[in-house]
Amino acid sequence: MTEPLKVLIVEDEALLAMELESLVEEAGHSVVGWATSSAEARSMIESTDADIAFVDIHLTDGPTGVDVAHYIGEKKRSMVVFMTANPKRIPDHFAGAIGVIAKPYTMNGLTSALRYLQEGVRRPPPVSARPAGFTLSPAFEAVWAPAA
Amino acid sequence: MDWKRTREPADAWHMTDDLHVEHGKGDPFAAAIRATRMSMVITDPRRPDNPIVFANDAFLRLTGYERHEVLGKNCRFLQGPKTDKAAVAQIRTAIEDNADVSVDILNYRKDGSTFWNALYISPVSNDKGEVQFFFASQLDVSDRKRSEHRITADKDRFEKAVKERTAELEAALEAQTTLLHEVDHRVKNNLQMISSLIIMQRRTIKDEATRHSLATMLERIEALSTVHRRLYQSKDVSRFDVSDFAKDLVTDLLTASGRSGIKPKLELDPIVISAEKATPVALMVNELVTNALKHAFKEGPDGTTAGRIGIKMSQPDGHFKIEVSDDGVGMAEANGDASFGMRLIKSLARQLHADIEWRDAGPGTKVVISMPNEPQQKGLSHD
Ligand SMILES: Cc1cc2nc3c(=O)[nH]c(=O)nc-3n(C[C@H](O)[C@H](O)[C@H](O)COP(=O)(O)O)c2cc1C
Ligand SMILES: Nc1ncnc2c1ncn2[C@@H]1O[C@H](COP(=O)(O)OP(=O)(O)O)[C@@H](O)[C@H]1O
Ligand SMILES: [Mg+2]
Repeated sequence: MTEPLKVLIVEDEALLAMELESLVEEAGHSVVGWATSSAEARSMIESTDADIAFVDIHLTDGPTGVDVAHYIGEKKRSMVVFMTANPKRIPDHFAGAIGVIAKPYTMNGLTSALRYLQEGVRRPPPVSARPAGFTLSPAFEAVWAPAA
Repeated sequence: MDWKRTREPADAWHMTDDLHVEHGKGDPFAAAIRATRMSMVITDPRRPDNPIVFANDAFLRLTGYERHEVLGKNCRFLQGPKTDKAAVAQIRTAIEDNADVSVDILNYRKDGSTFWNALYISPVSNDKGEVQFFFASQLDVSDRKRSEHRITADKDRFEKAVKERTAELEAALEAQTTLLHEVDHRVKNNLQMISSLIIMQRRTIKDEATRHSLATMLERIEALSTVHRRLYQSKDVSRFDVSDFAKDLVTDLLTASGRSGIKPKLELDPIVISAEKATPVALMVNELVTNALKHAFKEGPDGTTAGRIGIKMSQPDGHFKIEVSDDGVGMAEANGDASFGMRLIKSLARQLHADIEWRDAGPGTKVVISMPNEPQQKGLSHD
């Protein structure tokens, strides 16, 4: 069994965070924190040992998700996956993130993405097919899904 | 000064003055120059400062001077403070080089009023190639200049107006785009929330039938979500790549069912439909695929199900054709004309002006949908 993931949720919408938490836990992973703003996200990344952070672009203090990703990337302890209804706002370099789960995702889309990410984080590259609605950053595309 | 060696008598131009008195006698060519309505002067470069030695009446009329006021003077007395220095320099250079020159220059009359002078100067040489005279004609082109100015001013005004209008339109477009993104963002977030609400509600419910209803409802909403997720990914938000969507949907439904024994068979030509057709097509495909998943396959003795679900999308002769097939039990035993799923499919087909037909595929079922579709534009589907 691959070790489950410790997940930090950075999402301003309570309902979505709640549901995401349930789905993450149903998939056998654990949620180590929920941040709604960039400041909260920064302090939680310090106080938790999350493997992966799901980061929305739009938080309670504005479109600060990309900054959060940068910050997490510099700490080098956790990886970032954007989770947004606005993927066009993600810069081309993805601020070091693995990729993006575009909202609205389906329940199965999310579960598949979790499995894919678990494989990729624990034993890269992932063996399952990349789920629909999940896009890799160019940097990770090169490593996780090199063109045959 | 070497007047006498030239062929013309030194007093050639005084002769023309004589002609004026004795009209019709002497040189008819000189007489013509005297009398023409075109202003003309002749200067003598061999005298100090190239003075006027002849001026016709038209020149005097144009400039407002008397003949005795102009004879012996250099023509620069016609220039004034607003005369363009560059134009003067151009004339000076041409005269130094003994060359022709044609230039529009602002000149002043005796009364101080100004006019635009279309000046043409050319040297007149003798047999030996020595310049003897400069000949010039002056034409009052103030009217032309005025309209030229007006045209330039009009053009400037027009360009300014166009620039302003373009800026306005760009700002409006920018606002529209921002608004579109904002609305799109909200629609997507709201769809996500609706799904979340259903999932959360379902967790609290024990009754199988209700759970089943909620699951079906979630599938339908997720089909809509997938449409929306894909809709704004392309640059052209009015077109929808239905084959890419179908691939997403089928993969999602199959993995969600957890039945790895059922294999998809996708034959998807890249087909683009208009955005308003995207939702009904998506819902219809969702119904057909979930039906096949739910009803077509019997569990084997080992608790697993095996089978194949096929989706084919093609566009023969301007018709968009969708085929959803399975190799399951077939529909002979189905009695479901009154069921909601079937009604939904049929209503959506009507909305799309689509023909829909359930065929016995022996084994299994094949549903064939055919609807008119606008011609495909190359390159739209994958940019
Ligand atoms: C035959 C002839 C006719 C001329 N007619 C005019 C004229 O109508 N208006 C004007 O501004 N300059 C006229 N000029 C130009 C001036 O006489 C002078 O050559 C010019 O101003 C350049 O010299 P400057 O820099 O010494 O003034 C004429 C020159 C020549 C030789
Ligand atoms: N591909 C299929 N294979 C076998 N039976 C089918 C298939 N599609 C539909 N049916 C039958 O038609 C009935 C009506 O379908 P539908 O209106 O979608 O209702 P529901 O899916 O809620 O049962 C189903 O209950 C099933 O018996
Ligand atoms: Mg059904």
